Amino acid sequence: MSRNTIESSRLVSTKKRDGIFAASSLFGYLMMLPVMSVLVFFFAYPLTFEVWTSLTDSTLGNDAKFIGIDNYIALFSDPEFITAARNSVVYVSFVQAGKFILGLGIAILLHQKLVARGFWRAVVLVPYAMPGFVAFMVWKLIYNPDVGALNIFLTKTGITDAPIAFLGDRTWAMASVIFATIWRGFPFWAIMFLAALQAVPKELYEAAAVDGANAWHRFRNISLPGIRPVILIVFMLSTINTINSFEAIWLTTAGGPSDATVILPVFAYKGLATFQIGESAAAALSMVPIAVVIAILLLNKLKKD
Amino acid sequence: MQRTNIKFSIFKYAMLSLVAIFVLFPVYYMITLSLRSQSSLFSRSTLLPVDSNLDNYRAAIENTDFKRALLNSVIICGTATAITVLFSVMAAYALVILKFKGRDTLGRIIIIAFLTPGALLFIPLAVIMANIGLSNSLQGLILVYLSFMVPLGTYLLIGFFRSLPPELEEAARIDGASRLQALWMVLLPLVAPGLVSVAIITFTGAYNELLYSLVINISPEMRTIPVAILNLSVADEVPWGRTMAFSSIAALPVMAIYFVGQRFVVEGLQTGSVKG
Repeated sequence: MSRNTIESSRLVSTKKRDGIFAASSLFGYLMMLPVMSVLVFFFAYPLTFEVWTSLTDSTLGNDAKFIGIDNYIALFSDPEFITAARNSVVYVSFVQAGKFILGLGIAILLHQKLVARGFWRAVVLVPYAMPGFVAFMVWKLIYNPDVGALNIFLTKTGITDAPIAFLGDRTWAMASVIFATIWRGFPFWAIMFLAALQAVPKELYEAAAVDGANAWHRFRNISLPGIRPVILIVFMLSTINTINSFEAIWLTTAGGPSDATVILPVFAYKGLATFQIGESAAAALSMVPIAVVIAILLLNKLKKD
Repeated sequence: MQRTNIKFSIFKYAMLSLVAIFVLFPVYYMITLSLRSQSSLFSRSTLLPVDSNLDNYRAAIENTDFKRALLNSVIICGTATAITVLFSVMAAYALVILKFKGRDTLGRIIIIAFLTPGALLFIPLAVIMANIGLSNSLQGLILVYLSFMVPLGTYLLIGFFRSLPPELEEAARIDGASRLQALWMVLLPLVAPGLVSVAIITFTGAYNELLYSLVINISPEMRTIPVAILNLSVADEVPWGRTMAFSSIAALPVMAIYFVGQRFVVEGLQTGSVKG
């Protein structure tokens, strides 16, 4: 804070009794009260409680004893946790790359002159409108070796001789889950990118066309810089969502076969299910550093706008 | 020139058709399989709709657990959505229109809560809910769902309030309206699309939620739809036709809401992330 603002705020507060006790401030706090109560009881308190739990030997029904960072030490020497962390990175990276490519490609397609653009946009929204728990059950079905559409297609067309257990085979499971997650998530990217493309001023394209720029140059030098802020925001919001995607894994593979698709939320859930509460809390909290980096980037971005 | 245009047109619509097949096939497969019995699935492997009948839907209608879960989901998500819209309007209004000390800090806290993955908090929430005797209750899950619906709703509505001309509230006040009158009669009608979009987005968010529901409402009477559908499978045996029929019943109304309110959903997502 510069000296000027400090002085002027002091000036105002002595004159008009501004600050916390002024009438308009009280009204503001009153309006914020419901949301802040929710956040205190169901966000701040659980978070604090979780940090505390992660430092105890809490299991079901025992009196939790403070054990310092032992859970974290145990965690980082637990091969399943290392696998889960590694899987999370692979899963999130490929899912995000896929959503970006598909989302941008389809946004560009929808941005062309089209008959019934509204209809095509509605079609693209379908996976996003479908509840996630339904979408992933359907994909589990599609991948099924006995009755799944993909195997029926592959064997009928002779591409493969025998059905493939896409979700039960270590070489296929991760790729299959990634593909299903991309299917469910790309519409958000496509719709956001489309809106951003439509917001780029048309004059820029006209001027570039006069200068003889070809389609690729126009895209590279006008469209891409124009939608860059949206790409960043969508990327950050979607990354948080993807780190979080418990259901995508739990409903399809439940983390299997033999941990090939275990990601951090699934690992934490399995820990809670076996009542390793302290260690599971530590595992869940290990997602924080990633989320914090993304939050800081996003806050800075929003402040700049 | 003309010829390349036609070629490009064909290419465009060919690509769009591929996208449409990619997007719509799972929905088609869900519906066709929901009409078939388990034995039909194993005896005739085809992608075409064969052996169609409504037995699985009849089973769903007769299944009291499923009906109970559907009712639970509607009560929980409906109530939580109503509360979310009310609370979010108040907070977004305060954060955008009013000036008070600590406003920016509170705004930042809401964004941080909005960005926190739900998987981070399910363990303490499950323990806390059990400790205060609210696990396996509709009220408990409503409260827990508010923890992610309220920051999301507030974040989206901040975008809508920001898009209003800033002089509007002042003008209404100069004309003699109180703060609440200005909010109720001038601002709210203008952010009405935002309210619809927040209602749809947060309702579907809650309706689709699996993890919290799975760890907090364990008893069969208090299950929500996602857990009920998950529980149709016994070990690795999935009754596919039945699961797909139940899934269709669960999904199609929500998808219909989405498409009827499509304009609002898209506007909400864009206001939240493009302008926000």
